[in-house]
Amino acid sequence: MLLPEPEQNILDRRDEIVGALKSLLPKGCVIDDRTTMKAFDSDGLSAYRNLPLVVVLPETTQQVADVMKWCRDNGVKIVPRGAGTSLSGGALPLSDGVLLGLGKFNQITEIDFENRTVTAQPGVTNLAITTAVQDDGFYYAPDPSSQIACSIGGNIAENSGGVHCLKYGLTTNNVLGIEMVTMDGEIVRIGGKHLDAPGFDILGIMTGSEGLLGVVTEVTVRILRKPATQRAMLVGFDTVQEAGQAVSIVIAAGIIPAGMEMMDNPAINAAEDFVNAGYPREAAALLIVELDGPEVEVDYLLDRVATLMKGAGASSIRISQSEEERNQFWAGRKSAFPAVGRISPDYLCMDGTIPRKALPEMLTRMSAMSQKYGLRVANVFHAGDGNLHPLILFDANAEGELARAEEFGAEILRNCVALGGVLTGEHGVGVEKRDLMGEMFTEDDLKQQQRLKCAFDPDHLLNPGKVFPVLHRCAELGRLHVHHGQLPHPDIPRF
Amino acid sequence: MARYTPEKCADIEEIIRDALQNKTPLQVTGYGTKKNLGGRVLARDELSLSAHSGITDYQPEELVMVARSGTPLIEIEETLDKNGQMLGFEPLHLDKFYGQSTPGSLGGVIACNLSGSRRISAGAARDYLLGFDAISGRAGYFRSGSKVMKNVTGYDLSKLMCGSFGMLAVMSEITLKVLPRPEFMTSLSVTCASLAEARSALSIGFGSATEPSGGAIIKSGGGFNAVLRLEGVKISVDDRIASLSALLEKTGTLRLMSAEESSEFWKMMRDISCLQKDAEQVWKLSVTPSYAPQIIAELEAKYKVDYALDWAGGLIWLGGAGAELGAAIRAVLARQDGGHATLMRAPEAIQASQPIFQPLDAALGGLQSRIKTAFDPMYILNPQKIELGGAADANAL
Repeated sequence: MLLPEPEQNILDRRDEIVGALKSLLPKGCVIDDRTTMKAFDSDGLSAYRNLPLVVVLPETTQQVADVMKWCRDNGVKIVPRGAGTSLSGGALPLSDGVLLGLGKFNQITEIDFENRTVTAQPGVTNLAITTAVQDDGFYYAPDPSSQIACSIGGNIAENSGGVHCLKYGLTTNNVLGIEMVTMDGEIVRIGGKHLDAPGFDILGIMTGSEGLLGVVTEVTVRILRKPATQRAMLVGFDTVQEAGQAVSIVIAAGIIPAGMEMMDNPAINAAEDFVNAGYPREAAALLIVELDGPEVEVDYLLDRVATLMKGAGASSIRISQSEEERNQFWAGRKSAFPAVGRISPDYLCMDGTIPRKALPEMLTRMSAMSQKYGLRVANVFHAGDGNLHPLILFDANAEGELARAEEFGAEILRNCVALGGVLTGEHGVGVEKRDLMGEMFTEDDLKQQQRLKCAFDPDHLLNPGKVFPVLHRCAELGRLHVHHGQLPHPDIPRF
Repeated sequence: MARYTPEKCADIEEIIRDALQNKTPLQVTGYGTKKNLGGRVLARDELSLSAHSGITDYQPEELVMVARSGTPLIEIEETLDKNGQMLGFEPLHLDKFYGQSTPGSLGGVIACNLSGSRRISAGAARDYLLGFDAISGRAGYFRSGSKVMKNVTGYDLSKLMCGSFGMLAVMSEITLKVLPRPEFMTSLSVTCASLAEARSALSIGFGSATEPSGGAIIKSGGGFNAVLRLEGVKISVDDRIASLSALLEKTGTLRLMSAEESSEFWKMMRDISCLQKDAEQVWKLSVTPSYAPQIIAELEAKYKVDYALDWAGGLIWLGGAGAELGAAIRAVLARQDGGHATLMRAPEAIQASQPIFQPLDAALGGLQSRIKTAFDPMYILNPQKIELGGAADANAL
């Protein structure tokens, strides 16, 4: 069973629940007919679909609070949803849960150039923030591939990254403040335009909490001045191992490029067939290195990187000579996923991270796994920070291929952990990697994380069934087990 | 009154388990250099991590260092320096400020989230903690995070540990992201007639493509010196100094500092030596940068205060005196759209008479207390180091 068994008594109370929600929200904010709800039955992980109990689309923070308080009081589960672009099933609906969409929160509320901040409602897209400030020469740094569609609230939930986080950080490093609603229906503000809010860092744990701790209703982010110059370099290698080593060599030389991406031969050719980016088709691996800053710095560093790349065995080097050419270099990388979609009926996109130095070893293991499972794999990496996106090619209509592809994917992630890495670098755990959490964490590690969840949501009403493979009741988690489950001092009060 | 100095992680676990059984809370320290930062801990026994020391893994090419929590900060910084690297968040050194002989341990810096001038451009201590292992106040060992740069597997408990002042768990090993040290550093000083103009100079700098890595203001003679630090490869720094000078030409009198003078200036900011030594109280105000001049003007109207600004104006170090100063600061902040104030140093009577950290509203206070309970239900670790508010605080032993 993928999701927790729906509670029959909630399903039986559907009419009452829908009626109550309609009384809390303006007309048009509750969707309860099955045909319209179909639009919300999955997120970016479209292999999994499920109709929610009902969909609500509130318009104000107070309405979000009213819905959450009512659901808490009535024991009804909530699944929050931004733009529904999660690649890990974070917004997959529950049959007995209210799907709470933030789509109507679509306004940028303040742009403050003097303090370099933008305050926006959570449904505003990632790209819309940059669009709003780019005429004044600013941008918002985290740039997930889905930036045209994904929402800034969803970015907080997933701690989204992108190709430039090597130098500019993930969402967590670029968000300054939030307003959020807790499962109790309390409205809480943390941070703002000032730094490092007092108390335990709730902003920090909310970021990447996958909608399990609260619902974000406003976001304040840091914007940056666009660099004076950006140039990209295409570097071809005869072996993937050499390319992997080259990545470490550049970092070890003290250079942190704005982006350092890697594609293997199948990905190079798929991209080349799709957009004609001018990639070297014969190369076993390609690095795209981007440098930004003042022109003199970029020129100087490009020179240094080129020298390092030659020393690492590069078979070809091209440097973008114009903004048009730079965009062309990136076009292939940015369309790698749809390009792979053209050469295979289906693909699974994985998302593990490994230490940079383990890249060559991982690539060797990947080709062995590809043979073992009889499935092709195309590799697209954020190589600079060790974040892998292997695309496993399969045909869902071929008997058993989906299961084989999923097993292949799981083995890749187990290898990431074995090489000192992690299950997910930027896509989140969601339902996709939930059952692999035990590969990386012990039962004790996971229980401590769930105790934190209990501080926010003691009844597990907010997005249950995601991230954690086993849901422990908070009362059980709160018990003190001092000596192997035996309390030596029974006089200590328990909770 | 006992003082424990465990060497191994298992010993830390044993000490916390005993404390839990005996209901004897622990004051958790490294070298005890920051005992005066935060509230008075309600514990007679001390758990010092000073013997739990040493760098256990350092891979410069991976930008990763792992060290035990009791490792001296100086040892960390010297080791990184030898390899052309540094801590990206440029931690504050509070030894001079608190009259101590060392700036303490790595664990202390992380637990207090002590970030220096580079905070505004490169992030806080919390942005560099990749992972850790720890013993919770439940005497339970757990791990979180990893040694890789990009990781969203499970809750980001590293963020919670930074700034927790040892109230949730005792860290054993700490995994940090480290950065290459810039090849060259210099600073541009802009002397302005008013604080507002100096603040505005910082705003222009940080809003430009010249990428300052620090922006501070100190009083100088009758005026104000805004100092902007530029770092990187020399050819780039020279180019950006030229661009920045052109941008700030009309704002004030420009002067390029020598590399040595620049280095001394930022050390002064790191050590909080930028204030007069004899201030009765020193406050740390984190504010919206552009509001800083108005906040200071309102306080100066009623109090004799000394101050220096960092983080492009977002951090005000403020020295002053008077039993009501703290309340006045917080009242001004409340009028000026939030921000928060921490009492960093004061005579005991002043400390005891008011909240050290910014008080939280009821909803946030309740959440904070429940987080404490999730890690340390019996309030064994550093009770009252931060005032949490919320009903659960009544559980304190």
